[in-house]
Amino acid sequence: MAKITLDKVTKSWGQTEVLRPMDLTIDDGEFVAILGPSGCGKSTTLFLLAGLYAPTSGQILFDDHTVNRVDARDRNVGIVFQSYALYPHLTVQQNIAFPLRFKDVPKDEADRRVREAAALVQVDKLLERRPGQLSGGQQQRVALARALVKEPNILLLDEPLSNLDATLRIAMRAEIKALQSRLGITTLIVTHDQIEATTMADRIICMNNGNIAQIGTPDELYRSPHDIFVAGFIGSPPINLIKGEARGDTALVGERVLSLSAIYRGAVTFGLRPEDIALIASADTAMTGKVSLIEPMGREIFYTLQTPFGRLHALETGETARFVIGETVGLTFNAQRTLFFDAEGNRLPGLNADITTTIHEPVPSVRHPSHAEVAQ
Amino acid sequence: MSVTTSSSSATPDWSRMARRTLWNRTGFLAIVIGFLTVVSLPIVLPYLWLLAISLTGKGGDGTTILWRLFAVAAAGYLALITIALFAPEGQTAKRLQWGVTLVTVAALVAGVGPYLTIDNFAFLWDPASVAAERGSQSRIGLMPSVWSAMGNSFAFAGAQTLIVTVVAAPAAYALSRFSFAGRESFLRGLLLLHAFPALALTVAIFIQMYWMGLLNSLSGVILVLCALELPFAIFVLKGFFDAVPWDIEMSAITDGASRFQAFRMVVLPQVVGGLIAVGTFTFLRGWEEYVFVQTLLIEKTSLTMSLYLFFVSEDSMGVDYSLVAAVGVVYVLPALVLYIFTQKYLTQMSFGGIKG
Ligand SMILES: Nc1ncnc2c1ncn2[C@@H]1O[C@H](COP(=O)(O)OP(=O)(O)OP(=O)(O)O)[C@@H](O)[C@H]1O
Ligand SMILES: [Mg+2]
Repeated sequence: MAKITLDKVTKSWGQTEVLRPMDLTIDDGEFVAILGPSGCGKSTTLFLLAGLYAPTSGQILFDDHTVNRVDARDRNVGIVFQSYALYPHLTVQQNIAFPLRFKDVPKDEADRRVREAAALVQVDKLLERRPGQLSGGQQQRVALARALVKEPNILLLDEPLSNLDATLRIAMRAEIKALQSRLGITTLIVTHDQIEATTMADRIICMNNGNIAQIGTPDELYRSPHDIFVAGFIGSPPINLIKGEARGDTALVGERVLSLSAIYRGAVTFGLRPEDIALIASADTAMTGKVSLIEPMGREIFYTLQTPFGRLHALETGETARFVIGETVGLTFNAQRTLFFDAEGNRLPGLNADITTTIHEPVPSVRHPSHAEVAQ
Repeated sequence: MSVTTSSSSATPDWSRMARRTLWNRTGFLAIVIGFLTVVSLPIVLPYLWLLAISLTGKGGDGTTILWRLFAVAAAGYLALITIALFAPEGQTAKRLQWGVTLVTVAALVAGVGPYLTIDNFAFLWDPASVAAERGSQSRIGLMPSVWSAMGNSFAFAGAQTLIVTVVAAPAAYALSRFSFAGRESFLRGLLLLHAFPALALTVAIFIQMYWMGLLNSLSGVILVLCALELPFAIFVLKGFFDAVPWDIEMSAITDGASRFQAFRMVVLPQVVGGLIAVGTFTFLRGWEEYVFVQTLLIEKTSLTMSLYLFFVSEDSMGVDYSLVAAVGVVYVLPALVLYIFTQKYLTQMSFGGIKG
């Protein structure tokens, strides 16, 4: 059990900077997910913590002790690799017992701990098999048991569920989460599946291109993203992002003028989550749209609409579509849930938008290119 | 498409097509087997001949025995292949094959058995009487016993195998895992060294051995051959190490192993096949080595099997071909046995290959 602190940690391979200065504190017993697109440095962060890579600069602290110079073998970190990295020539029993070979654990205690770890992840019936004779899910459990048997201070999981089928993934997700809260080990899980991150973790680190874009609870990332990257990355189906221009207390978004809750001037991007849009059967509202595509997704219906904002996605709970393609429907949205980002992509906190009741004439503008595209 | 439109007019004759497929397959197999048989004949015949001569008595007619041997073996072979091609699969075919094998062996025993003798192998257990018979000035009378040559050959090839694998494994591992200045040129150098005709070095090596005081010593030749064999061994082993995932090594290190322990306990077991393959090749190379032992052991106080065979066939008192053949058979046998046990690993090996 340990608290982890990263203090301006960077990592470069030759000239390429893989991690920009990174500051981070993870509390004892916390379950944190690292989420980000491929190649953004998630695995690198884990390997730095495990001691497999040395940071180019900065300090890594466990419980306020610098461990930069501590060997990987002495850090007492349990890690599950994306490939599981089981030892093919050893049986499951020997695989799980492997970390204990390097500790002064008496034979009978080692046996007991191996059996306990195996029982914990329910592979105690498979102890005599070799990794080649196991299914993906079983291999993943064995890897987890091997990481847990040494009673690590920190558990690192590198995309442990990516090789599993959907059903197994959901089951393992719950199992890992339950196990973690029972054992109380500080845990970092790397994933690029946001559902995985939001369902399992206390906090999510959203990474982009070697930087931490935002750290927060799943809800914080979802409702108040710091920038346009986080807004676009979190949420499925993704948020609608529309270019626009703020002119004091109004903003021109697409072909529509919206009223702003605060004064702002300059180029903006307007963000609206598909599930925050409500579709209304009467076309009698301040804003309307034409349904151009309907995709049933089981419990939800995913609509694509042509609106004065341009193309807009909307998500509605329900099992059958209420509208047909080509129909004109009324649109409203929850003003509190709207997001604005400035020209650099940073969130403009406190700025919301609502549909003005008086319909303005479209004002052609040469300053934003999306206008022409939307006008068609 | 055509099936749907013409289904009423012409139902395809499935059984006829199945028969045609069977014939095509059989014909193809027959051609392949025929070709392989013809190609391997020139390779197999000399060994059969060697065996026939080594088992023929002084007055016996080696050629007759060879032809009988060949005829019976060929008949058995043809019968087995015919069964494999045409007989229904399963129990019957198995039983038929066993029957044919038994008949063939019986025919061999009856046809050539009476002509055979193991007298030629007497040098193995009674060298004194062979020497007495051939005359005390004959080579076999002057040379040390075949067993000492055999022992030398084993020590020679064995030591070489040991040194080459022990040196090549860490070298190949380093080349596969670490990036260091000059790694690329080192790899290219290895290939170049392997391509270089070693015979061109004979004179230089001779002089070097002379200055090092290693002429006439078996250990000197061992060192020379190790140096010549290492590039190839390293290159092949590197391929095997490349195939071992990086993850399991890193996993071992986080599990508490040192880098060396990770190598020994996790990486090495993954390349056992490669080590066996490289070891076998090195052993066979050492076993067959002739040129460098001939050149560097000038006084011939210690002999290897290759030199023993050479001297038996260079006898100034006249050559006894049956004896030469018998020595040849004894020389081939260990290599054959080793090959049978390790062939499974040899086929995994491809030059610089990925297979592991
Ligand atoms: N040994 C290395 N040498 C050079 N560059 C490297 C090395 N290892 C990783 N990188 C680079 O560092 C970046 C981050 O790699 P990392 O493995 O951390 O990505 P990731 O976020 O885990 O991606 P993924 O989701 O695909 O696993 C990548 O652009 C990669 O090319
Ligand atoms: Mg990764």
